[in-house]
Order: sequence, then structure tokens, then C-alpha cells
Amino acid sequence: MRVPFEWLREFVDISASPEEVAERLTMVGFEVEAMESVKDDTVFEVNVTPNRPDCLSILGIAREVSVAFRVPLKIHVCEIKGELPLSDFSVEIFNHELCSRYAGRVIKDVRISDSPEWIKTRLEKCGIRAINSVVDITNYVLLEFGHPLHAFDADTINGKKIKVGMPDTVLLQTPNSKLQTKIKTLDGVEREILGDSLLIWDAENPIAVAGVMGGLETEVNDSTANVFLESAYFEPFSIRRTSKRLNLISESSYRFERGADIEFLEKALNRAALMIREIAGGTIYEIIDVYPVRYVPEPIKIRYDRINRILGTEISNADMLKILKKLGITTEDKGDFFIVYPSAYRRDIKRDSDVAEEIARSYGYDRIPSRIPRSPLSSGKLDKKMMNIIRIREAMRKSGFTEVINYSFMSPSSLDVIAVPQADRRRNVIVINNPLRQDESLLRTTLIPALIGNFKYNLDRGIRDIRFFEISSVFEDIGRPLPLEELRLGGIFYRDKTPSLWKEDVEGFFITKGAIESMFEELKINEYSFSSSSELFLHKGQASDIYVRGAYAGYLGVLGPEIVERLDLKKQRPEIVVFELNLDLLLTLIPDSIKYNEIPRYPYVERDIAIIVDESLSASEIKEIIRTFPSELIEEVSVFDSYRGSNIPEGKKSLAFNIRYRAKDRTLTDDEVEELHASLVEHILEKTGGELRR
Amino acid sequence: MLDIIPLKKAFLDELNSITNLSELQQLRVKYLGKKGLVTSKLKTLSTVSPELRPAYGRAVNEVKDYIEEEVKKRGSLLKKEEHKKRILSEAIDMTLPGKFTPFGREHPINKVLYEIIDIFISMGFEVEEGPEVEFDYYNFEALNMPKDHPARDMQDTFYISEDIILRTHTSPVQIRVMEKRRPPLKIIAPGKVYRCDVDISHTPMFHQVEGFMVDTDIAFSDLKWVLESFIHSIFSVETPVRFRPSFFPFTEPSAEVDIGCTFCAGKGCRVCKNTGWLEILGAGMIDPRVFEMVGYNPELYTGFAFGMGVERVTMLKYSIDDIRLFFENDMRFLKQF
Repeated sequence: MRVPFEWLREFVDISASPEEVAERLTMVGFEVEAMESVKDDTVFEVNVTPNRPDCLSILGIAREVSVAFRVPLKIHVCEIKGELPLSDFSVEIFNHELCSRYAGRVIKDVRISDSPEWIKTRLEKCGIRAINSVVDITNYVLLEFGHPLHAFDADTINGKKIKVGMPDTVLLQTPNSKLQTKIKTLDGVEREILGDSLLIWDAENPIAVAGVMGGLETEVNDSTANVFLESAYFEPFSIRRTSKRLNLISESSYRFERGADIEFLEKALNRAALMIREIAGGTIYEIIDVYPVRYVPEPIKIRYDRINRILGTEISNADMLKILKKLGITTEDKGDFFIVYPSAYRRDIKRDSDVAEEIARSYGYDRIPSRIPRSPLSSGKLDKKMMNIIRIREAMRKSGFTEVINYSFMSPSSLDVIAVPQADRRRNVIVINNPLRQDESLLRTTLIPALIGNFKYNLDRGIRDIRFFEISSVFEDIGRPLPLEELRLGGIFYRDKTPSLWKEDVEGFFITKGAIESMFEELKINEYSFSSSSELFLHKGQASDIYVRGAYAGYLGVLGPEIVERLDLKKQRPEIVVFELNLDLLLTLIPDSIKYNEIPRYPYVERDIAIIVDESLSASEIKEIIRTFPSELIEEVSVFDSYRGSNIPEGKKSLAFNIRYRAKDRTLTDDEVEELHASLVEHILEKTGGELRR
Repeated sequence: MLDIIPLKKAFLDELNSITNLSELQQLRVKYLGKKGLVTSKLKTLSTVSPELRPAYGRAVNEVKDYIEEEVKKRGSLLKKEEHKKRILSEAIDMTLPGKFTPFGREHPINKVLYEIIDIFISMGFEVEEGPEVEFDYYNFEALNMPKDHPARDMQDTFYISEDIILRTHTSPVQIRVMEKRRPPLKIIAPGKVYRCDVDISHTPMFHQVEGFMVDTDIAFSDLKWVLESFIHSIFSVETPVRFRPSFFPFTEPSAEVDIGCTFCAGKGCRVCKNTGWLEILGAGMIDPRVFEMVGYNPELYTGFAFGMGVERVTMLKYSIDDIRLFFENDMRFLKQF
């Protein structure tokens, strides 16, 4: 709401500067968001919250200023003298529940022209374009008093009859008419109106969308001689519904949907009529006022101590009543409690908490003391899930992965880019009805597309070592009202192969795998395995599914060549590694507690074994063979070499393992270990069909 | 006996020309080895006449001790020299970069989010979470925003269907928690929220921390203490704080909380639009309607609630002027935190 300072001063005689007024308004709940110098005036941009439609006007803001600065509020006297009796116009309300008051005046023989400068200037300051004197005056009064008015060209109203009703109702009550439900509004758009939207009709046609916008046919223009001026009260929810449906918001609808002042509307009507007579001439006819549902204030009973209990204050009973009186709120003292009668422009005051706010606002939020809550002490604590997420984030960061956060949206093409099969779970997407952009129209079912995006964005900006991870939910339609929200950990790794001082031979795959394994280690998750993956977007020979305690937990792998080609990276065969893990699952597999194991007291004995086996046999398979060998003395097995090349036959590879033997209760003898190791070697050779490498 | 003197002299001559430890070792063997010159003299002791034998023996042993001593002295000297040489030859360019995998960084939003969580935990709050895709009921209706309520315009909503939306705030967690638990409650609810809006200060997804406290005797003054403590903790104890009246459908009285502008220290600048203040949170006393929706007796219980944007706090904390930076995930940005 734009408020010119000089206009405001017409209502309150204050000497304070615009800055001081802005500060005070802000502190009583009307935030002045900006101040603009216009000509020799200052215009406030006031943020009026939806509960205070009464302040969508100069008068409303002035009322707040008058209370804040303790100066009287001056309102124009709007008495009409010399009005003529009216015989030929009638108003009928069909839907009282949507329109509980409709008033109007006919003004005949006006001469329409441009408005005088002072009106134009004020409208302009408030951001409203001047049209002609009569229309400008309705807008002027709307800004000044906050009540929306509408002017019709009275000669275009068929049958000199005004009807207020929904098409459904009007149709029902005038069965023989050929009512149409289309109307061309002032903005030149022809609109189809639904059966339960409130319209203003003449004897034959709709002539305005009630409270939202007038019709083009009955518009007041330069040739208009006689005007019908409308001032009504429409039910907020109805106006909002219509305005939403038509996607049409006007200064009128904005105020009506928040709530107009049903008592004050007559004064607004008179103010406009008087201004028209003064500026455009003409004769004012007497008021038509159909007011079937009278406003009766709903009394609110409030205990004084309740107010202090809500606020944590010790405001005296007398002070409370004094504050409310200043605000123009009628009260009645009843000893322990008091009764509030909210005026028609303060329908937001419905119960004790609303009254507490009015008192607090005026008393000053800054004067309410800060108090340490008296509530009993409680132990604040993160739950296990959140603590473990913190550990996971830390583990990833220690492996050099930087955290990213991406939008939860994805493009419909994302899943095609990473070749997700049609029948895959990831295709069960949730669609946003009103996305900002088409490529943000789905909720993501995988973190990978966004991570690839992060990778490319940074690569294009010259970053050569990229390690990112993200912990976020993905969303899957599972046929219930709400989707399945699954927490995922995703990551991407890429390092430029350009020569550097410190060479590292390890491939990106193993660096990334190492990061995942060290995270498992940190979480004390020890039963996990990597086996080849069938993810179509990954390199078939460099991709594993990850299983934790036998359950599928996700995958890790190098992006396949087709995918990489599509990224158009201008790099020779870049190795881009990605992974994605189901954290919800992982979090359930983390042991709750740690139990100490005794540190071994006796020494270990080490033996190595190198065997030549088929290429197809994996290190983990052989490790498993060793691990399951029936001897309690095998403490640890580790792979320390994997080799193919000279001295190794085609189709074979050499794998070397280190085995550590130890007994819990004694020192092992050489002979004992020799014998055990020999039988282990035999066992391995038999199971793998391999041979010892010498 | 006379042949001992030249032996000693010969040794000293040879010792002078020694340049390294292995030569020294050879020299030692030459004189003191099993078949060494001095050793062989000792072996011939028996051929010396008995009256001369003690003196001759003494003389030979003296030479032996002398040589032993000289070899030792020379040995340690040579060792020192050799170490010196080795150290010189092994010198490295210590200005070459160290080798390490730099730790990854926390995203600034999560960094600040966890800081916020920590502060509230220290005040005895618990953390609860809720779904990001939410029923209209929890997001709006139960929070006193029925359909056709203009307050809904304050939050541009992404719709999945008529009744299912992307939550526009984390306040629905308030309802979900109150539906299943009874007071006293001291809860914060962090998480992602969504609004269809994008510009320099809005992104369609952002993070919020909602907090609330419900008991039989909670007042607006408690809210002030909790939020002032929080702000002083996350910014600094000198940060000015002010509460001013505002409106939210689910709180009454409602407040907006401002802090002294962190960009200009309250002097007035472009960021604070010359007011010296920046809005940081919304708060208020939980509206009795909300209590009624979850079956609490509003006569018995009072409570406060507040909500803040984590992006906003982060921007103020680090003087970041464009919210979109958070979701571009540019390494040059991320590595600064």
C-alpha cells in the first residue's frame, strides 16, 4: 500500500518527520518497507498484513498514526444536502449470504472530463492511472477510505434494475429469462463466469463481476451523462474464489477478499457523490440502500489476567482499557474480566489472543520483558539418525568430498539421459502441477543427474579435482497420497589426468570406493560387499552394486562412454565416478553401541600367497574362500597385489594375499603355522583351480 | 723392540691418507686383524728373550691401544663427515607443495543449519522432522489457513494435486508433533521447504528451522528471551534485536524479529534499505485455533512458535548478497566455508 505523506497529514495534524512516522508505523505492525521521494512529497510503501484490510487506505493508516502520536483523527464530513428523490431505480439482492449490503446513488447530468491535477497527482503517487473524473473519483475514495466503489453508466443499465446474485440463483428465480453467463470486463477480456460466482446484473445481462471488475458495456466514458454509483459489501471468501478462478486481481477484489467495512460504505458512497458533483457537476439522487443482514458486533469476554499470561506482562486493568479505547475499540469493564465489541472494520478481532495483540502492539513489544522460560529443564538431544548423518557427512568430507545441495526437482529428460529403464522404480515420479520451469517439473528419484550437473558446471569453470557429495531425499510415487521419501547419499568424483608433481596410480573408482569403505568403517558397518552392477548408465566393467548385510544399498561406478559422450566435455576418456546409497537403509544397519574387544596378547605370524587364477575370478571371491576356511587362527586377510602382464598367461591374473595367523591363548609355533598355511594353500588352489606363482 | 716404532709411524702415515670408513676398516684389519701387523708382533712375543719380553709386550700393547684409539677417533670423525655429506646430498626443495587430499567442505547452509540446531539443543530443544511433500491440511488448514484465505497468498505454493503440496514451511511438523505428543514440548523442526518464487532473494527451494514451545505457562516474554539468546549466540552478543508486530495466521500475537544490519552495522545501507534493520525471523504465540485443531485446550496451554530461513541467516552471517549462489554449487564458492 502506497501512502503519500501529504495525504496522510490531511487526516492527522502531526509535526513529526516522515522518517519518524515510518519508524513508529513499523513498530506498531505496519512495516514501511520503502520511502520514495516524489516531487515535494514522501511516499511510504507500507506492508499491510492480510488481517488488516482496514489499513489498506489513507484513513486506516492515519488512524494508526493518530493512536501512535496521540493526535486526533480528522475525517471529512460527508453529508449530502439537496439530493433529489429517486423513483426509477431498484436494487435486489438474490444471495444475502454473499452480499449483505448494497447501496447506490444515481447522479444525473454530469460532464465527464479529465480530473483536476490534485486528484491525478495523488492517484499517480499511489500507482493508479488517471482515466476520467468519475472513474478517478471512485479510485480516489477507494485509496482514501479503503472502500471499493464502482461507477456504471446509468443509461446502459437495462430496465434500471440492479440484481446481485450468482448465475445459479438468478437463473432459478427468474426462470423465463435467457440469462447469459459471459461478460466482457473493463480490461476487454470476455470471461465465462461459473454458476457460483457473484455477479451484478441489470434486467437482462451481467454488468459486473461483483467486487472484482466492472463490465465494458456499462463503463463510464466521456459521453456518459448519468452515473450509477455502487457501494456494497461482498463476502470475502466469495470474492477470493472468483478472483482466483478468473486469475484477476484488482484493487477492489484485493480489499473485498480481506474484508471491507460494511458500516462505513455509505460514507464512502457519499464522499464520492459529493466529489463528483463538485468536479463533474450533476444532481445527486437519494440513496438506495439494501441492507438485509445488519452488522452486529460479536462480544468477546476476556479475563484481564489472561492477557498478562499470554504476554508475560503486568499491565493494569485500567491501562488495558485505556489502550483499547485509544484504538477505537469499545469495551465494558466487568471486574475480573471485560467485554470487547469489535467495530465493523476490525473483524479480525475474534478472541482473547487478538485483543492481547492489540494491547501488546500499542503497549510496545519492546516494553515486554524477556523472561527465562519457567518450563522444566529438559535434555535437548539429536536423535541417533541425525547424529549418524553428521558422522556420514564428516566421513565423506575427510575423504575430500565437498557437500552440495541441489533442488529437489528434475527435468523429465533426466532419467533418459542416464538410461533408466521404463519399468524402473525411478520412473515412478511425482509431478508438480505448477512448476516454475518445465525442466523443474518432477521431484527427483535419483541424486545423480544433479551431481553430474554440478560436475559439469565446475569443470567448465576450470576446476580439475571434483569430489562432491549430497545427502537429500528422493521421492517415489508408491500409490499412496504421500510419496515415499527416501534419504540418499550420492556423490561424484573426477580428477583431471594432466601431469602433476605428485603422481598417484590409483584409479578414481578405487578412490571413491575407498571413501565409501572408510565411511562404512567409521560407522562400524562391516558386512558389506561389492558385486557387478547392471546399472545401464555405468561402465559395464567398472560398476558395482553395494550390498550391506545382504541388502541392496546402492551402486558405485564409472559413467559409461555413451553418457560421457553426451556430456560433451572435450576431454579424452574422462573417468567420472558416481555413487548413490540408500541412507535410510544404511542408518538402520549402524550398530547402536560399541563393545570393547580385548587386545591380542600373543604375537602374530604372517604368510603371503600369490596365485595365478582366471581373470574372471575376483579378489573378493578368493578372500571369501580364505575367510571361510575352517580355522580360528586366521585373523586377517588382505590383498596386496593384483597383476597381469609378462610372465602371466593370457586370460589369467596374479593375486597376492597376506594372511595373518594368531591364537588367542598362546604363541603359535612355526611348525604349526607351516602346516596350517600349507593346507590353506591347497584349499585355495583346489577351490579356484589356480596355481601358485613362483 | 725397535721394530715397533716404525710400525707406529707407518700406521700414522697411512691413517693420514684415509678418506672414508671402509678404508679405515681396511687399515684397522691391516694392523689389528687376526693376521695384522701388530697382532703378528704379539704372536712373536714367545720368541723374544725372557728378560726383554715384558717390556716388549708392553710396548706392542701400547701401540695396539694407540692404534685402536686412533681408529676410533678417526672413525667417529669420518662418520660425522659422511652424515654431513649425506644430509647435504639429500636436501630437498622444501617449498614444493605438501601432499594431501584436502578435506571436503560443509555446504554453508548445512554448516549454519547445524549451528542453529546446536544452539537450540543447548537450550533443551529436541529435533523433529516431517515430510517435504505434505497434505494441504498440515501445511495450511490446521495452521488456521483454510482454503480461500488471503493469507495463502503470502506463500506461493507448488501443487502436486488439490490436497497434496510441497510444504511451504516446516510449520506442519508443529501439527504432526502436537497430534501425537502432549505438552510440555520444546521442539525444533529443520528442513527443506518450497515456494514458487525466484529472484535475488528467493529460490524455489530453501531451508527453514521452525521451533515451538508449549506448556501451561508460556508467554510472549519467554519467546523474547529464547530468540534473543539465539540471535546473540549465532551472531554476537552485541547484535541489536527488535520485535515488531506482524501477522501470521497460526500465531497471535505475531511478531517479526529484526537484527541490526550486519552489512552496515545499523548505519543504513542498500541491503537494509536504509532502515538499519534486517528481518530475520517470524514468531508469535501459537494461535488458539491451532491448539483446537490438535485437540489441546487453549485455556490450559499456551505456547510460542517461530520460523526462520536458514539461507537468510547464512547470508547475513557471511555477507552473501545473492541467494542463488547456494544452489549453483560452485567450488570457488563452497570452499570458502
